[in-house]
Amino acid sequence: MRAPRWVPVAALLTTSAWLVAAGCGGRAAVPGESGSARYFGSIRAPQDRVFRFNNMAEPEKLDPGLMSGQPDGRIARALFEGLVVADPRTLDPIPGQAYRWDVSANGRRYVFHLRPGIRWSNGRAVTAGDFEWAWKRVLDPATGSRYAGILSAIENADSFNQKRLTDASQVGVRALDDSTLEVRLTSPTPYFLHLLTFYTCLPVPREVIERFGDRWTRSENIVVNGPFKIHAWKLRSSFELDKNPAYWDAANVKLDRIIAYPVDDLTTGTNMYKAGVIDWEPSGGIPAPFLPFLRAYADFKVGRQQAVYFYSINVTRPPLDNVWVRRALNHALDRATLCNKVLKGTRPPWGLFCPSGYDGYTPPPPIAYDPEEARRDLAKAGYPDGKGFPKFEILINTSEDHRRIAEAVQAMWARELHIPVAVSNQEWASYLAATTGLKYEVARRSWIGDYPDPSTFLDIMRTGDGNNRTGWSSATYDRLIGEARREADPARRMQILSRAEAVLLDDAPVIPIYHYVTMELVKPYVRGLYPTVLDYHPLKFVSIDPDWRSHPEPADTTVALR
Amino acid sequence: MRTFLARRLLLLVPTLWVIATITFFLMRAAPGGPFQSERDIPAQALEALDKKYGLDRPLVEQYGRFLVHAAVLDFGPSYANPAKEVREILFESSAVSFELGAWALLLALLVGVPLGVWAATRQNSAVDYTAMSAALVGVSIPNFVLGPLLVLGLSLTLFWLPPALWTGPSSRVLPVLTLSAIYVAYIARLTRGGMLETLRQDYVRTARAKGLDERRVVMRHAFRLGILPVVSYLGPATARVVMGSVVVEQIFAIPGLGRHLVNGAFNRDYTLVLGVVLFYAGFLLIFNLLVDLAYAWLDPRVELA
Repeated sequence: MRAPRWVPVAALLTTSAWLVAAGCGGRAAVPGESGSARYFGSIRAPQDRVFRFNNMAEPEKLDPGLMSGQPDGRIARALFEGLVVADPRTLDPIPGQAYRWDVSANGRRYVFHLRPGIRWSNGRAVTAGDFEWAWKRVLDPATGSRYAGILSAIENADSFNQKRLTDASQVGVRALDDSTLEVRLTSPTPYFLHLLTFYTCLPVPREVIERFGDRWTRSENIVVNGPFKIHAWKLRSSFELDKNPAYWDAANVKLDRIIAYPVDDLTTGTNMYKAGVIDWEPSGGIPAPFLPFLRAYADFKVGRQQAVYFYSINVTRPPLDNVWVRRALNHALDRATLCNKVLKGTRPPWGLFCPSGYDGYTPPPPIAYDPEEARRDLAKAGYPDGKGFPKFEILINTSEDHRRIAEAVQAMWARELHIPVAVSNQEWASYLAATTGLKYEVARRSWIGDYPDPSTFLDIMRTGDGNNRTGWSSATYDRLIGEARREADPARRMQILSRAEAVLLDDAPVIPIYHYVTMELVKPYVRGLYPTVLDYHPLKFVSIDPDWRSHPEPADTTVALR
Repeated sequence: MRTFLARRLLLLVPTLWVIATITFFLMRAAPGGPFQSERDIPAQALEALDKKYGLDRPLVEQYGRFLVHAAVLDFGPSYANPAKEVREILFESSAVSFELGAWALLLALLVGVPLGVWAATRQNSAVDYTAMSAALVGVSIPNFVLGPLLVLGLSLTLFWLPPALWTGPSSRVLPVLTLSAIYVAYIARLTRGGMLETLRQDYVRTARAKGLDERRVVMRHAFRLGILPVVSYLGPATARVVMGSVVVEQIFAIPGLGRHLVNGAFNRDYTLVLGVVLFYAGFLLIFNLLVDLAYAWLDPRVELA
């Protein structure tokens, strides 16, 4: 069916109108402001200690053990506090509900000492037993937690979660007394403390859950232990948090209130930022066409993100089961041109499966653009100059950006390899069903790390992992991942992981395309919000500085691209 | 009259049942399910969730259970938001949609009717042409263009009004203007047409001949009859204005019904979609019935049987 003629015209009109507006943004008459050309829109600082931001979606579940999305996580980590919390700049674990911890020499036993005097918002003391109960609840298969895997480093956690073991007391987490928690791990896990900053590991109030069931997270029932508590939850309208006076570090919480809006329309959210209705439009909330020119503004913040955009290949379908075909597709892709032309340089090209920035990790050589090599590979596969190559499809979920990238890839493959490729799009849920069910040939995908370690990427490509979704299976790869898991020496462990990534790239069930970056808009009077590799921002450390002009901004709030 | 009402009310039941059945099976036929996400959901978690919401039962049993509960307006909790009942979500968001629609319609009447009368009394003058050209523009500009343009001018350039949300009186202005524009234009044109027709009637000439001043002729005598097309238009317009605000709700991030329908369908939130669809359907059916009754009341020639 043809769309009415005016649709593209109208879209063009609104977009160009928006661009004009944005272009004039600096000169717009902001009451009481002048010379604000450096900033995008209003920079009038609020006089109250209220921080407003776009959470981009309604938090679905406020139950930390059950949730699985960033909008939910942002709210949950303001409401609850784990044993450790993430540093707002580096995300390194710093003391939270536990004020210190001991690690055994073999790295497999942790003992956490809880802070004295920490309380739930209903007045009850937070105990080590709360953590034990919360974690075992997450692991209990009947709970149906999606993220139980975060706890799989703990002894017997997986067996209990996957119903191979029914006795919860054998799971390696135990309250030694009210203020001491012992955790035993299956193997030394250098990033274990990082895992504890994840929302799945937050404590939950047992008595409230047992009393109210699913309805325990309603604002009238919920009991929290974090820096903020719920003030009001207006469905699809706003989510308001107030400072929690019962929180142990309340003296250092500099906001009286946080208001989160669930605006999923990117243009609307960015408009709200420009008009000064919100102080922060997080990464992912800015429409792609606006990114190139927003770079001129000082309140547009860029940071490396631990995420990679890639194409995944269904290796169970001929001719993609042939490794030479997969290598040819990989080598024929000119990532640099794609990123410069299609993405206007807003994201760096990437030829590895793991993202950058892991301490001590030396990645294997990245996949390079080499059309000659690609044609040789294709000939080795039995399709010299693409002759007789069957047509296949690139599957994307419906989105303008994905389509433009797919069309560029399609053109590159046609140009370098002379193979026929089509692009097909599906709406989100159908696309998910197709990729998980291996009902595709080549599909757009991306992966976002959960913790700062290459294993958060490499683990998913193990044989049979639910996120593998390529049908690819390599005994060598699985063996290396297992070896790395058991390795106690961090440096050797990283070397093994690097070898595993080399195996993966060589066998090419994936085609890396670009490295994600966080791109967010933060008003200049907001302090304590830094770009981080996990795009996670502990709200406890955020403050509003009405006198921001006289206080210089910290230098590390943005990075240059490339 | 009474039998008409009884028959129409009884007809509601099978109609809603057909709609509910089609929606139920269409939703289930769509690929994917309510619990999948970009990240894999472990088999044991999916199993636990399916069991909890009864999705592990045979489809026919699920359908039967849904019908029994839907009969008492109990759709269960939303899958995406298990702490909230679908009923509760419908209640909260329909209040917002109704308010938005009511303001838009009120504005459309307050502006459209005087504009139409004014244009009619000065037919073929500059006033008439200006008003009717404006109305033509109003009818032609789709709200997804008008909304962003208003936001651009009034909130991003002049910083007078918030560009989105539904939080205070000032946040009502732009969405109401956007939603009402087309109705203002349509009502103005209808009023003008009705008035022109009436102003040529004999009884108006008589009134003028009696020496009544023009103001009385127009407002007292002509207006009553000239406005009738608008009255009959109000019925379908009300239904449409309340339900046709999906786009406006999206542009202005308003927590109304329409967005639940769209998001619910994308999320495969079965319970929410069924709830919203049945709510819309019920509203539309009842409103059509009210319009039929109103016609009969306004025009004695219409017989209800």
